[in-house]
Amino acid sequence: MNQSEGTLIRQLVSDHQPAETSRDENPWLSVLKKEAASWFCDMPLPNRKMEAWRYTPIEFINKTAFSLDAEEAPFEALAPSDIEELLLPGSETSDRIVFVNGRYAPGLSCLETGNGITLHTLAGDSKLPSGFKRQIGHADLSGRFFFTLNNALMSDGAVIHVNKQGSERRRLELLHITVGMPDPVIHNPRHLVVLESNASLELVERYTSLGKSSYFNNAVIDIHLSEESDLLHTRLQEESELAQHLSHLTVRLEARSNYQQVSLASGGAWSRTDAQIIFNGEHAHAELDGLILAGSKQLNDVHLEVLHEVPNCTSREHFKGLLSSNGKIVFDGRILVARDAQKTEAALNNENLMLSRSAEVDTKPQLEIFADDVKCSHGATVGELDPEMLFYLRSRGIPKAEAERMLCTAFANEVVSRISETPIRNHAKRMVLQRLANQGEMA
Amino acid sequence: MLTIENLKAAAGEKEILKGLDLQVNAGEVHAIMGPNGSGKSSLAHILAGREGLDVTGGSVSFDGNDLLELEPEERAAAGVFLAFQYPVELPGVNNTHFLKEALNAQRRNRGEEELDSVAFMKLVREKMELVSMKPELLKRQVNAGFSGGEKKRNEILQLTLFEPRLAILDETDSGLDIDALRTVSEGVNAVRSEERAIILVTHYQRLLDYIEPDFVHVLADGRIIRSGDKTLALELEKKGYNWITDSEAA
Amino acid sequence: MSTTAEQIKSYVESGYEHGFVTDVETDIIPPGLNEDVIRQISERKSEPEWLLEYRLKAFAHWQQMETPEWSSVHHPRIDFQKISYFAAPRKKDGPKSLDEVDPELLRTYEKLGIPLDEQKALAGVAVDAVFDSVSVATTFRKQLAEAGVIFCSISEAAQEYPDLLREYLGSVVPHTDNFYAALNAAVFTDGTFVYIPKGVRCPMELSTYFRINASNTGQFERTLIIADDNSYVSYLEGCTAPMRDENQLHAAVVELIAMEDAEIKYSTVQNWYPGDEHGVGGIYNFVTKRGDCRGDRSHISWTQVETGSAITWKYPSCILRGDDSVGEFYSVAVTRGRQQADTGTKMIHIGRNTTSTIISKGISAAEGQQSYRGLVRIAGKAENARNYTQCDSLLIGDKCGAHTYPYIEVKNPSAKLEHEATTSKISDDQLFYCRSRGLSEEDAISLIVNGFCKEIFNELPMEFAVEAQKLLSVSLEGAVG
Repeated sequence: MNQSEGTLIRQLVSDHQPAETSRDENPWLSVLKKEAASWFCDMPLPNRKMEAWRYTPIEFINKTAFSLDAEEAPFEALAPSDIEELLLPGSETSDRIVFVNGRYAPGLSCLETGNGITLHTLAGDSKLPSGFKRQIGHADLSGRFFFTLNNALMSDGAVIHVNKQGSERRRLELLHITVGMPDPVIHNPRHLVVLESNASLELVERYTSLGKSSYFNNAVIDIHLSEESDLLHTRLQEESELAQHLSHLTVRLEARSNYQQVSLASGGAWSRTDAQIIFNGEHAHAELDGLILAGSKQLNDVHLEVLHEVPNCTSREHFKGLLSSNGKIVFDGRILVARDAQKTEAALNNENLMLSRSAEVDTKPQLEIFADDVKCSHGATVGELDPEMLFYLRSRGIPKAEAERMLCTAFANEVVSRISETPIRNHAKRMVLQRLANQGEMA
Repeated sequence: MLTIENLKAAAGEKEILKGLDLQVNAGEVHAIMGPNGSGKSSLAHILAGREGLDVTGGSVSFDGNDLLELEPEERAAAGVFLAFQYPVELPGVNNTHFLKEALNAQRRNRGEEELDSVAFMKLVREKMELVSMKPELLKRQVNAGFSGGEKKRNEILQLTLFEPRLAILDETDSGLDIDALRTVSEGVNAVRSEERAIILVTHYQRLLDYIEPDFVHVLADGRIIRSGDKTLALELEKKGYNWITDSEAA
Repeated sequence: MSTTAEQIKSYVESGYEHGFVTDVETDIIPPGLNEDVIRQISERKSEPEWLLEYRLKAFAHWQQMETPEWSSVHHPRIDFQKISYFAAPRKKDGPKSLDEVDPELLRTYEKLGIPLDEQKALAGVAVDAVFDSVSVATTFRKQLAEAGVIFCSISEAAQEYPDLLREYLGSVVPHTDNFYAALNAAVFTDGTFVYIPKGVRCPMELSTYFRINASNTGQFERTLIIADDNSYVSYLEGCTAPMRDENQLHAAVVELIAMEDAEIKYSTVQNWYPGDEHGVGGIYNFVTKRGDCRGDRSHISWTQVETGSAITWKYPSCILRGDDSVGEFYSVAVTRGRQQADTGTKMIHIGRNTTSTIISKGISAAEGQQSYRGLVRIAGKAENARNYTQCDSLLIGDKCGAHTYPYIEVKNPSAKLEHEATTSKISDDQLFYCRSRGLSEEDAISLIVNGFCKEIFNELPMEFAVEAQKLLSVSLEGAVG
């Protein structure tokens, strides 16, 4: 095998066969990891000839000798005061589950238990109810290289179980912090979120870092929404600018459940989301709004599949890309309406604003329809700032750079304004402004 | 001409008509009034053959034939015309083409000779003047991009063009300004004749200022609960529907 | 054009109305494909040496290639050794005039509604009639020659205009382009050659009518149209085949070249035999069509109405090389029964201020499966490129499918692209409205579907728009349950 075939990463997986490292792990987890590792060894490395990787090069996986974090994870040295700067203003004491370098950090987390929410972790929690074990073990590994990699190396993750509680929706932050290490590391957090019937939750999923360093965050998060449950999901990806980030998100919706996602992806040198929204029960509804930012030396990729497997569900997906410098955005959205999934209504939209001559966008909004009584649409646009609008602003005395910033902010705000919580929304706005200011090389 | 006896209908689980009787003779104009949700529009659609409304009992005969047995297009050919409250848009379908196809389909069905383009255009121009419709609407797509008033005029144009024996106007007055209401009414009055019957389904009295009915019926909760002459409509306007529905309940 | 119930009824009774077989004596090379067969084809056509070399080079390349497998089109493996690559109605010499054409062939075309007799022909339309592997007649050549227009079969071009042919053949679709283009380059037997000189507006519509007649044959024709500076041509192709319960392969290559200020309008009404309702028989229509807008302000427009074939696989494309050049693609595709269509376009923007428009209307009925696959690529130097794409699908029945796979690649920020796609069915409201005005359900559907396709039919030359509407009604016949 030569380097182009992923020797380094395969070596890492075979070096960490559970047999050698499982001294404190649950046996069932070892079994899963072993199985995934054996799948992984036979998998071809993703390449440009595979439709899912047509526009997304993955040279980094061949170039970087990733290591797993040492057992003595650095979070033990972290005090709550060390991460203060990372916290959302006003949320210092609110419920949060913190993972540092892929490991659960109880000392940094604070969760008011009871009142509907139960937390288990994969590492160290041998009392994980078998239902959850099944859900984690049920994953389809075929053909999903990085997903399988996560399964082969997963060492920790949160299992969040939400029962119907009082009328108030609780907010929970799932915060990932990477502390820079001298050598590139890979984290493989594996989360499961289950909402029972009629339960509701606001989940804020964040990825951030302390210090600039090179690492690969290869996360998996599975969400199961039982009948009539309701999840507000905010995803903020603000990884280090040297990092690679890949998150695999699966959301399964049972009857009459409701899923709302607002996502903002701005960090990482190479970042990708592989999301699947699956309708399992009728009269469920999903809405996803996303903002994808790509600036200097960044590639930011969103792959989104919405599978309408049953009748009478509705979904709306709206992703906006903002490109500056030599940033590259890939958007691949697919709505599938299965045979008999009648009365489906689904709309998929992707808009892109290009601020620079050296940016590139590749977008692929697809529809696959096998039922006739459906209303489905998709749209995509690519363009630059409207010169007329710019001129209008400038003719009113606004300097060019400021006018451009205003228009870009307005473009981004359509997504950002969907975040209902003010502190999070303000934080997201700052993320956008920072990205725009950092670039400084517009048009 | 039209005899409705003990008509019962439902949409899915929901009972809409609960035993409705109505007799309409040639030359008569009947107004059917009633509060929202009383079943007025459903009655109009059942007469035109709308799917999704199940007739669960009773009978409707038109010129002695069972109307309920006929397909919608057969009813049209037999002379039943429904002016829709919300005329449907047909993107890409040219209005002239649509009108000609429809008219000739009805004529064919009746064993009459079809009109050629020249005769048809002459006829349609004549009728358009009658309803003050802008000629360019003929070149446009059926109802697509039409204003509310234009759509209603297009319905009345069809009324004058097809010359049905029984015309049912479903809330034709809704959403019309006073000028449009006047021209629409003029169109309807122009087709009033001894051979033709008209059923006006309306919520308000104001249409009846322009088209004077011979009979007024009040429909509430799936039945006709009161019938009278045009003065009944005036009284309703003054006192509201509760006046009757309450007195019925008492 | 009215789509009345009687007409529809008569179409139903006739089924696929072009399904007859013409009984002519056929000169055929037995099935099989090797260098020798290619040499035989070339020899029979007395081709110049360079053309034989071109074929052999393509064949060598083809042998290295793997048969493509497509994600959304499925068919049993084609045995390329079981196809006969040359079938021609027997004749002594190439027909010099129409009087020498076998009367049986003239009758065939008349039956297809394409009279080759110039007196009876559609006014203003010149026809090249391709029967199986060869061109049997080309009408109005004299009148066209007076205008300086060259309109002949590609075999004749090889004899009479070898320099022109050699310069342009394969210059838009190289023999290495794809599997079926390579095959075509090796075995093409005939097709149409058109050259419009500088400043000439072609005085009539040009058209080629393709007919597959012999069994166990494939048709591999090649069309090459060159519009020199400031010229204009409108070209139309039509195609039919007998009903046979074997699948026949049609693998054509079409190359268009538009020089400065030239315009080419290329229209297709494709009605190959689609197979029966169980999916037995029918033509595999695997075609490579590409236009090169070489000159500034050149304009290439593809319009297609695809109702036939068991499988259609084609993406008429435009390379917008010249500044201010314009590419257009207008398509109606109907699939029903077990038909599959995978069609779309590629618009490659290279020059400055280039504009492309894509309007695709797909209608799927019964168990028809249909995909739109399109690529819009804006190169880094393509300043101010504009693209508008609209893909609408109409589904009739609950067993059909409609899929849209657009690829949009942009490397220049001044580009403006809009892509819209919708999928819908004929609404009950629309049907009821039409029926309550006296139209039968069938007529109502036909009316609504024709409305759905209006934008495309408007792009077709008048006579063919009528033909296309008729075809559409026939195709949809029986689609409603």
